[in-house]
Amino acid sequence: MADDEDFPSSSDVEEPEVGDCYLSDHEDDIAENVLQDLEDGRQEDCNWSVTSVITKESLLAAQKEDLRKIMELLALSEQHARTLLIHYRWDVERIFELLEEKGKDRLFSEAGLTMNENKVIALSSYSDPFTCSICFEDVSPVAITEMDCGHCYCNNCWTGYFIVKINDGQSRRIRCMTPRCNAVCDEAVVRSLVNARHPDIADRFERFLLESYIEDNNKVKWCPSVPHCGNAIRVLGDIYCEVECTCGMQFCFNCLSEAHSPCSCIMWEQWTKKCHDESETVNWITVNTKPCPKCHKLVEKNGGCNLVACICGQAFCWLCGGATGRDHTWSTITGHSCGRFKEDQTKLIECARRDLYRYMHYHNRYKAHTDSLKQESNLKETIQGKIVISENKESRIKDYSWVNNGLNRLFRSRRVLSYSYPFAFYMFGDELFKDEMTSQERDLKQNLFEDQQQQLESNVEKLSMFLEKDFQDFSDEDVMENMKHVINLSSVIDRLCKQMYQCIENDLLYPLQRATHNIAPYKSKGPEKASELSVCWVSNQARSTKTTKMDVLPNHISAVNASGTTLSAKRTRQFQAASSSDESGSSRKLSKNESIGSAPLFDLNMPAEVIDKS
Amino acid sequence: MLDTTRVQKELVECNRDTAISGVSIDLHDGANLTHLCGSISGPLGTPYEGGTFIIDIQLPSDYPFEPPKMQFITRVWHPNISSQNGAICLDILKDQWSPALTLKTALLSLQALLSAPAPDDPQDAVVAQQVFLSNLLYILQYLRDYQKFVGTARHWTETFAKNTNKNEQVSKLVEMGFPEELARSVLEAVKGDENAALEKLCSG
Repeated sequence: MADDEDFPSSSDVEEPEVGDCYLSDHEDDIAENVLQDLEDGRQEDCNWSVTSVITKESLLAAQKEDLRKIMELLALSEQHARTLLIHYRWDVERIFELLEEKGKDRLFSEAGLTMNENKVIALSSYSDPFTCSICFEDVSPVAITEMDCGHCYCNNCWTGYFIVKINDGQSRRIRCMTPRCNAVCDEAVVRSLVNARHPDIADRFERFLLESYIEDNNKVKWCPSVPHCGNAIRVLGDIYCEVECTCGMQFCFNCLSEAHSPCSCIMWEQWTKKCHDESETVNWITVNTKPCPKCHKLVEKNGGCNLVACICGQAFCWLCGGATGRDHTWSTITGHSCGRFKEDQTKLIECARRDLYRYMHYHNRYKAHTDSLKQESNLKETIQGKIVISENKESRIKDYSWVNNGLNRLFRSRRVLSYSYPFAFYMFGDELFKDEMTSQERDLKQNLFEDQQQQLESNVEKLSMFLEKDFQDFSDEDVMENMKHVINLSSVIDRLCKQMYQCIENDLLYPLQRATHNIAPYKSKGPEKASELSVCWVSNQARSTKTTKMDVLPNHISAVNASGTTLSAKRTRQFQAASSSDESGSSRKLSKNESIGSAPLFDLNMPAEVIDKS
Repeated sequence: MLDTTRVQKELVECNRDTAISGVSIDLHDGANLTHLCGSISGPLGTPYEGGTFIIDIQLPSDYPFEPPKMQFITRVWHPNISSQNGAICLDILKDQWSPALTLKTALLSLQALLSAPAPDDPQDAVVAQQVFLSNLLYILQYLRDYQKFVGTARHWTETFAKNTNKNEQVSKLVEMGFPEELARSVLEAVKGDENAALEKLCSG
């Protein structure tokens, strides 16, 4: 969204971001506690995701970690590790699982990895001139190359083949030239042979290999900014989250469209489609018009009796649409009778009309809040002016950060509010969840949700009102009064937003039987800002290749804390769930996922000592 | 540019044992090495027996690193070959192509395809459905009614793959002084048996 750029980054106006991990504190809404919580290891929310930005420069460093793990565990060279990772979509955990399941040999052969220890000996055995079976030429043994699979062709043919494959965009999986040979060619060979003839194509090959980490990886996605900022975002943990790239773009990591929680991705996709296409216009037309039987133009009845005349001059009966003469009385048309009641048609029209009104109801409210958000963004500058005036005035009050904090809270909650309408449209409509709920259930849940929505709405409007006041002209007491209202309302709104998200996750989406809808968890501070990638728990070589920035260290440590506490939090949660039913604070999303798939037991991105401790 | 030395070598190599392999390759028009014309004889013991199938071969400039484009010119009734345009559904002509394969091996694979249609190979069926919806018809027919399939395939072979042969027979009879129309219809009646046709023409 365009107005995202107008938002101040929350770290400017609020407490500094502490960890990479989202933390929520249920006892208070005051953000200082976040720090405390983290240190205490008290963390109750299980929807954690660690996001980082991968730039062109850090792309290599980002994959080094995964490569190193595979190289160390399986005693592979870097290119073999990369081949393996590309085939298994950079899913290190999956590779470890498959290693257990299938064993090393099958793991390797399925990825097209063949190890040939006798390579050196084999090559030296070609002493006579060698006939390449591609070009049918005799070549000297120095101009041939043998791949790991043992197949041997002349360098000329290999090079031509590689170039064709790279130009075809198949760099990541160039197979041996032998028919039905599954082996993937050694990237070092590809690189050196192609480089000798076409250095630019070799560069492209290099880039394709590097970008495989983004293209063939479920946990990394390109930032969807236009024009593209060149960054990619990596998410560890829950992929249903909202991220802010360093370029300022805020988006939903799962579907890459704008941040749209509490709408699920499916709902949002359908909503944008519905708003863009003309289906509703068509609905209006079917409800309100009829085609002229002569010229087929659509005619709207603007009053009067049921004899309608089209601009082409043709008269027709509004009830049945049939052409008639012009002679008529108020209730009958001469020689025309269509009194027969057609129930289905009336029903259909009724349905279309009801659907249209329903859509209009939700769309109007969605639109109203989006528009308010836009206007309030303009308000920002005016308010900054007011702050400057206030700060320069003779007064005891010097701290006006509450204004900015309140303003940010207003923007975020407006956003939540506006997206809550398309959510409600689908949640309580027939399009997605027709058979999920009985109508009583639906009414009950709708009331529950709408109560919360209304509460939030009225508080957001109140906050908006207090923020728009000309506080620069107020006396100190009145400013204090206003400040109190803004701070109170901000914390109330934050709590209400969170409650609404929890209601949506736990009471509305979680019980769904047929469909699975996931939403990004509520973030008190808006979409999470992805941190610049730091080279974490590095091996010595990686540390020496990357110049360590000043901010790397704190990031690193907090990340350890974050993931470490996540582990303990998870265990605590399980314990709580067993001992007491009071679990309202935490979300059920992840636990649901766990029950579906076999989630890995430990996070591989943590240092060994953390894993060991657990 | 196209590696002409390899293509020339391939042509020589392929045409050396045409009698045994049953496949041959000629230039389509004089000097152009990128446009060739292959021919395969129908495998014995199949409905295609006795037929000669002509295949249009276009070589892309990156040949042999890219597969040759092949297409049946002779119409053929087969689950993996389009009856409309002669397009071929064979993996080695698509993603399974390897530079170590040659035109000859490709033609031999086509010959093998004629003797062993793969209508129930799920992968082929899926591909076939996607590539040629019309081919679904043959697959169904092939599976449901093998005899009928064989009949149609044989009929098509007779009609299209032996056409050149028939024309030669007709012109031979015309040279002997019989009217062309008559010669053609008599040949048709005796199912292409030259001697029987001559006897019939002389007696009638």
